[in-house]
Amino acid sequence: MIGVTSMQEMTQEVIRLTLSDKTASIEEILGDSIDVQRRDFMFCGNPDYPGCCYSIDGLADAAVIDAALKALVVSGTELVDEPALLATAEEILSCLMFNAAVRACSTLAAGIERILSGDTLVLIEGVEQTLLISSKGWKDRSVEEPASENNTRGPRDGFTESIRTNTALVRRRIKDPMLRMEGMVIGTRSKTDVNIAYIQDLVKVGLVDEVKQRLSRIKIDAILESGYIEEMIEDAPFSPFNTLQSTERPDKVASALLEGRVAIFTDNTPVVLIAPTYFWQFIQAPDDYYNRYWVGTFFRMVRYIAFLISLTLPSIYVMLVSFHHEMIPTSLALTIASGREVVPFPVLLEAVLMELAFELMREAGLRMPKPIGQAVSIVGSLIIGQAAVQAGLVSPFMVIVIAITGISSFAIPSYSSSLALRIFRFPLLIASGTLGLLGFSGMFFILLLHALSIRSFGEPYLAPVSPFQQEAQRDMIVRMPMWMLDARPDFAQDTKRMGEHQKPQVPKEQKP
Amino acid sequence: MRKIQITNGMFVAMVVNLIFAKAIGVTQGVLARSIGQDMWVATLLGTLQGAAMMYIAYLAIRRTPHLNYIELGDLLLGKWFGKLIALLIFVFYLAAFGPVMITFVYHLKDYFLPEAPYWLFTSSALIIGSIGCFYGLEVMARIALIGSLFIFLLNTLIIIGSMKEFDIRNLLPLLEHGFPLTAAASLHFDADWALAIMLAALILPFVNGAAAYGRKLSVVSILASGMVIVIWAILEGAVLSAEVTSQYTISCMKLARNAHIGNFLQRYEMIMIALYSFSILFEVMFCIYGTSVSISKIFGLKSHKVMIAPVCIVLGLFGTWVVRDHFRAITYLENDWPRIALPIAFSLPLLMLGLRMLMRKKLNQAVQSQHGES
Amino acid sequence: MKRWLCLFISFIPLLLLTTSCYGLQQINELAIVTAVGLDVGKAPGSVKLSVQIIRPADARGQTGAPAGGTGQPIYSVSAEGDSIFDAIRNLGHFTSRRVYWAHNFLIVMHESYARRGIADMIDFFTRNHELRMNTWVAVTPDAPDEVISTITGLEVVPGQAVDRLFRNIQIVGLAPASDMRSLEEAFLSPSVQPVLAELKLVKRGISNKKPEEHGSIKQVELAGAAAFNKDKMVGWLSSIETKGAMYFLQKLKSGIEVVSCPQSKDQIVTLELKDIRLKVTPSYANQVPSFDIRMKLQADVVENDCGAPITEIREATERTLKEKLALHIEKAVARAQHYHSDFLKLADVFRNKFPVEWQTLGTDWNAVFVQAETTVEVEATIESTVLKAAKQEVK
Repeated sequence: MIGVTSMQEMTQEVIRLTLSDKTASIEEILGDSIDVQRRDFMFCGNPDYPGCCYSIDGLADAAVIDAALKALVVSGTELVDEPALLATAEEILSCLMFNAAVRACSTLAAGIERILSGDTLVLIEGVEQTLLISSKGWKDRSVEEPASENNTRGPRDGFTESIRTNTALVRRRIKDPMLRMEGMVIGTRSKTDVNIAYIQDLVKVGLVDEVKQRLSRIKIDAILESGYIEEMIEDAPFSPFNTLQSTERPDKVASALLEGRVAIFTDNTPVVLIAPTYFWQFIQAPDDYYNRYWVGTFFRMVRYIAFLISLTLPSIYVMLVSFHHEMIPTSLALTIASGREVVPFPVLLEAVLMELAFELMREAGLRMPKPIGQAVSIVGSLIIGQAAVQAGLVSPFMVIVIAITGISSFAIPSYSSSLALRIFRFPLLIASGTLGLLGFSGMFFILLLHALSIRSFGEPYLAPVSPFQQEAQRDMIVRMPMWMLDARPDFAQDTKRMGEHQKPQVPKEQKP
Repeated sequence: MRKIQITNGMFVAMVVNLIFAKAIGVTQGVLARSIGQDMWVATLLGTLQGAAMMYIAYLAIRRTPHLNYIELGDLLLGKWFGKLIALLIFVFYLAAFGPVMITFVYHLKDYFLPEAPYWLFTSSALIIGSIGCFYGLEVMARIALIGSLFIFLLNTLIIIGSMKEFDIRNLLPLLEHGFPLTAAASLHFDADWALAIMLAALILPFVNGAAAYGRKLSVVSILASGMVIVIWAILEGAVLSAEVTSQYTISCMKLARNAHIGNFLQRYEMIMIALYSFSILFEVMFCIYGTSVSISKIFGLKSHKVMIAPVCIVLGLFGTWVVRDHFRAITYLENDWPRIALPIAFSLPLLMLGLRMLMRKKLNQAVQSQHGES
Repeated sequence: MKRWLCLFISFIPLLLLTTSCYGLQQINELAIVTAVGLDVGKAPGSVKLSVQIIRPADARGQTGAPAGGTGQPIYSVSAEGDSIFDAIRNLGHFTSRRVYWAHNFLIVMHESYARRGIADMIDFFTRNHELRMNTWVAVTPDAPDEVISTITGLEVVPGQAVDRLFRNIQIVGLAPASDMRSLEEAFLSPSVQPVLAELKLVKRGISNKKPEEHGSIKQVELAGAAAFNKDKMVGWLSSIETKGAMYFLQKLKSGIEVVSCPQSKDQIVTLELKDIRLKVTPSYANQVPSFDIRMKLQADVVENDCGAPITEIREATERTLKEKLALHIEKAVARAQHYHSDFLKLADVFRNKFPVEWQTLGTDWNAVFVQAETTVEVEATIESTVLKAAKQEVK
């Protein structure tokens, strides 16, 4: 037995150690975990060449190990007379093994990392390198519709927690050889696989290098979810705005790649990041493109209105009722006044309380176990709405305002950005409740200044509105018909996307 | 460090935003007091004069489109001349802050928040403006684009709301006081274009198409602003009548108060003010920018951002002093401000143009050596 | 250290938000005024102000919440003071909430107050930022505080009822639609004089409890006009003169005239006037202006008591109609000249066409205008008999 040296030294070299030394060092590093499996065998059935394979129970697929052992032991016995002939790992795997994914490995460090990723490590006496057999076979969630991004028409598959399944889902949609996937490992203890996907002749120049540079800057012990990565590489860490888009839908990722963007896949999470992003993308839904353009345009406008309402309606209401009563049409003013006659709170306080109550209900509905969740949230909102009004704690108008605001904020397709909106609603509310019109317009101006100053991986955040890009307006407020959307965003390398004269024409013979 | 890029559209938007806020209300009141219902004729005449001056301002830096006036002054007559130009620009923007504050404070305070104190308005405007200045010129230019969209909406709203009471007879007879008086009154308007000319003096180097499209750009920007403002002049004359317009400090608010859509939306001037506040806040931002840039050039500092805070204090004190007393404010607006603005704004481009032409040789040498270096 | 400094600087703007909310007033802390009455006070030169304040809970009814209603939709009070502003402050002595003008529908002035001069009223209501510019203004020979607290028509709130009366003016056409904006415009104009509508209390309502007593309930009636010279009222206009004046001032949607039949003076035919257009052309001779007034309209026969088919009496009726309308206009002009008050906007028409002459004549227009000659010409055609056929045998 060799003396105890640092793990670094041990794992760096594997040559010159005998089998027993190697196994001893492996077992010292891996320790006594009960799920570490060790299987000894005789290479080609020859007792002079003992071998050993390590794998993790639960991560490795037993059938693959069986096949490997069958190759090494049974086929070896039948086919190979002299095991010494197969002296290197390369020869063994090319001549003897019939697993689909096998390779040779020269350092113990890599070997142990791969064991912990689900591969099987095979050590044979007298062979300098080790064999690594790819045997990943753990229980995975099946591909199902993403819970938070629904649509009425379109594909219903969503990403799962396995990174290879996710990249495969995107590959199925883009069968272009120019689609490249680059891999990185981030996290010193979690060693999470991160893949960067892009289409080489479309992607924005310099973007991939920027992304890789930012990812390699991350020094952290574990990446548990893509949110960790997002917070470490984003452009505006102090801003509530999302500068990276996150999605669980493969079709969104595919269309982003086709626009010249970059997608970042992270192992163990179905959420994929897309960079760069514009603010207006958070109000667009894939539905807009799969339905016809009338439907798409109409619902997109509804969503824009919903966005404006969810941001400003409570502030406007509070401002009007507290400061500028002359702006309310008279009959409405009388209705509001009559509703507020018995309420003990000033409007600002009432609004803040109701907002908090709404947020509370929303959060409670989310955390509640599924069976009771639905019932309690419905009952809760009814109770708070109706009973509070009847008790004279809030005015009925305020309940309506808050309810409309809440519903509008749910109409925004991207859940994470609707959170940003919710955060912005509060300073706007407080400013308009304390300073009236001055506060409202001032705070709105500051928010707009802030939004205009953000860049997402070099692209201005509020493009194509400001700076104004003419061609991109076809897909902003309205969705022009598919035969008119013939350009990519101008940061992509190749902006021409469609052929000429794509508008469908009825053939002359068929015209009435 | 990315070079600041301002597109042509952004430049036009900045000019429109800078002029719009003050010209539609305060200046119209002044014009109505001078020449009655011919305010719109005076506006048009003023527009033409402004376009001519802007063109001269562009001509002065045609050879050196990457230098603003201060740097051009440096090049032509040495550093102290450049500092003198910077001082002139500083004085100009400091004086301009007075009318800007008059517009801002009287719009919001007299009509919406009468009990709030003056310092609240001045300080909130300065805080917002300095945030914009910190973010830099590009962000200011982008918000000017959004501001011009809002101006368009604002004009649509006021037209819709006032059409019912539009009476063309109020605008007749045309040129009742004769052409010379009308032309004299348009000088009040020139004080507004002076702001735009000073903007060009500082900003033209940053505009993308300054070299190629400078001629068109300068004229188009003023004409666009003129078109947008003359709508208000016509509406105020026709709907309110000139006598009513002349009674008020802020005549655009009087027009906006009259506007109503049907019987339901009885008063919606608040929506209009919310849209209009972008333009006026942009003016405040730009005054802060102009003063901080010029004063940092005087002290020889590299970045103007350091001077933003001290400049805000100075502007705040001056602005509050002007608006506290309504009488003092009107006197300043009608007498002192044109006397400061017009000489500086008219003479500076002419001066630079003249110097450039006289010292052509020296300029060519300097330009060539710069080209040789880069 | 830099971080602390940045944090400190970023907190300062937040302090602004904690300032004590200047001007904040909850909407249920306001006394919303819907009608105002102005009268001369007891002391000479003083003003008596009466306001009608609305009780939202009673005007709007239950919304499912306890509302604290008392059953009375309005609350009317009055106060006196040296000026209008003073009287309003005196109101504050006993109204428990701050009086709020922004939803005011109506300003009613007593005749004596109007004759004394309304310059202070115009100045107050246009200098104040709260009042709406389309508030209706009227003069009444009755007590204003009674006028504003009489519940009229179907409305719960009297101010709103009068507001609706005014809005129907284009059809009823018996009083000018005088709002604050047109009053200010006419008052400030060097040439044109204001004219205001007239409100009266008449006994027209029938009580549900005592139907046999006709007219036991008073209603507010909008009919007639009051002419002004600068800011002082000079007199009333009768209903015929008001009708004539209305053609000058507004574009009416329809008017109605009752004309006697050609063959018998006792029987009448009623015509509804449509598409009424009036054009005034000024001309100038020997330092005296003259006006040529042309009116063009179409008429529908809406009630025929003549006993003869309309085709027979058509031409004669047209002639009678023309004479009647010309008479109305002439009476209106005569009344304006009698009062030395050009409320028909003839000055504007003259000024637009002869601006140079206006420079000299305009200084004393009221005197010059009295001597002006007017010729009236009416073109009226009966074009429709509504549902009944326009044929020989049909009556």
